[in-house]
Amino acid sequence: MTNAPSGDDKVPQAGQTVVPAGGPLPEGLPPDANRRLAELEDRPGHKGMFTSDLSVNEFLLIKEVGFHPLGFVMGSSIYHIGIQTRRWSQSQELSKLTGAMYEARQLAMDRMDAEATELGADGVVGVRLDVNYYEWGSDTAEFIAVGTAVKSEDGRSYRNRQGKPFTSDLSGQDFWVLMQTGHVPLGLVMGTCVYHIAHRGVGQTLRSAGRNVELPNFTQALYEARELAMTRMQDEANELGASGIVGVRLEEKTHMWGDHTIEFLSLGTAVVKSDGDHTIPQPQTIISLDG
Amino acid sequence: MASQAAPGEDLPEAAGRRLSTGAWSSGLSVADFSSSLEMGMDPVGYVQGYAVMQWSWYMATGGFGAGFGGGAGFGGGWAAGPQRHGQYVEQWQCPHGFVSAEHRMYGANYELTWLEQSWATGWSLATTRMVEEATSLGATGIVGVVDSMRPLTGGAVVEFRSSGTAVAVRDAPRLTTPFSTYLSGQRLAKLIEAGFAPISVVATLSSVRMLGYCITHYQLAGSTAGTWYGSGAGGVSGVGPVDQVNRAQAAVRRLARERIRAQLGSDVLHGAHMEQSEREIGEGDLSIQCTLKGNRVRPFKDFDPLPEPLPVVRLA
Repeated sequence: MTNAPSGDDKVPQAGQTVVPAGGPLPEGLPPDANRRLAELEDRPGHKGMFTSDLSVNEFLLIKEVGFHPLGFVMGSSIYHIGIQTRRWSQSQELSKLTGAMYEARQLAMDRMDAEATELGADGVVGVRLDVNYYEWGSDTAEFIAVGTAVKSEDGRSYRNRQGKPFTSDLSGQDFWVLMQTGHVPLGLVMGTCVYHIAHRGVGQTLRSAGRNVELPNFTQALYEARELAMTRMQDEANELGASGIVGVRLEEKTHMWGDHTIEFLSLGTAVVKSDGDHTIPQPQTIISLDG
Repeated sequence: MASQAAPGEDLPEAAGRRLSTGAWSSGLSVADFSSSLEMGMDPVGYVQGYAVMQWSWYMATGGFGAGFGGGAGFGGGWAAGPQRHGQYVEQWQCPHGFVSAEHRMYGANYELTWLEQSWATGWSLATTRMVEEATSLGATGIVGVVDSMRPLTGGAVVEFRSSGTAVAVRDAPRLTTPFSTYLSGQRLAKLIEAGFAPISVVATLSSVRMLGYCITHYQLAGSTAGTWYGSGAGGVSGVGPVDQVNRAQAAVRRLARERIRAQLGSDVLHGAHMEQSEREIGEGDLSIQCTLKGNRVRPFKDFDPLPEPLPVVRLA
């Protein structure tokens, strides 16, 4: 697995139908979600309301930049993560686990997208991706994606080339600043790689006993795993037609696999320059009077 | 991945594949990204470097004199070893004569050069690899460098990490070696505004082992019953500075400063960050380490007075 799973692989069975605003409810959303989303929408005889996890400052800045919140959206997937045999003395990617971790997050993201689409959103800001483990499910994890769906007030569509609302883990403040630079978000992009780091043999251990030296095999394995995760993230951004990715972060977790098997997850917001020339406002020097 | 590899040959194959793909990536926050664009710096890629090192402490936890000139025992000619190599060492001798078998008759502070050298090797390997990635992207420099060291698979193996965002400065000539700095965004903008150009990140670790002698032991244990030892003979008075610890702490900081100064040449250090940690390795014995990091910068223009700043009170 050198590239992100293909579009066919990663689209979930549930929540995969992208429907225009005002169209039929997407298949796969739970009935409770449909009822909750319906409550948020304006329709004859019913005044809608929005929900959001934005702070007051974020709410103000989102409005200032020409968007308004539509509703708090979420998606989740409870996923059984199987096992994959690994060789004790060989560093290698565990591609089945990589695929599972990727697909589980993608399912959650797609369901969140489906909720945003149902609301007629142009995008989702402040997206958070979490993984929770429960005592009742051995090798089972819940992947959750949450965020606030927003819509442009000028009528312009900010959906990406796949026709989906953009997603972004940017805060309201960061979203405002990004728009000032003349860039628009296209989507939250990610790449993952589950990698088994080889154990050291007795001979290797004895040969380097008492010495402080580099362990090139370990370095190479960890380096390779991170680069693979980042390459996949960049591949996703390229698919969206992005010019770049901002706020890249690289997370590492062993989950339930023990010390030598690590998931490297790379995340960021793919962006593209908006149409037309744009001048970045000259920042003003300030002195904060806070203590 | 040999440490002697030529620049660019030291990176894994996956790095080359990633760096050749279309979209750039950046570890900068959006505010720092915006600030970089405003300064004329375009991000060209997130760059990283790593080195996994075996980190052996066994000599450090040995008995007296371990690591000195081949591990000669205390009082058996060990002093000649470290002094011959120019490393820091100080000795203390008990003023009381034989009291008991547990009584510490000798004490020593000494520098753990093998740890310092290993740290320097690991840090510079990771940093050099990060710079190699930036070089292969044709970057002018790396901003927002983050580096760290963490244990891996137990305490005997550690990983050094360096990462940052490679940038291309518009209309700037390509440098043979890209600059690097821990700064980004408004802090970097203010540095340049003040007339200083970033050159490179610099860092060092100094490490001193303190093996306490009897007086230090009594002082660290809070003993006030030292009067019978006789203050005239260097005994304990109950209250006062713990000389051996003070000297070890001063030495570890001095060593770090001297080493950084040696890396700076005629340049200056900006944003120095010193972190000192102590670990008890036995009753009354300490291992003291100090890391000092900062940005090597060079003045390139006179300071132009800034426009009058706007005072701001935040409401949040």
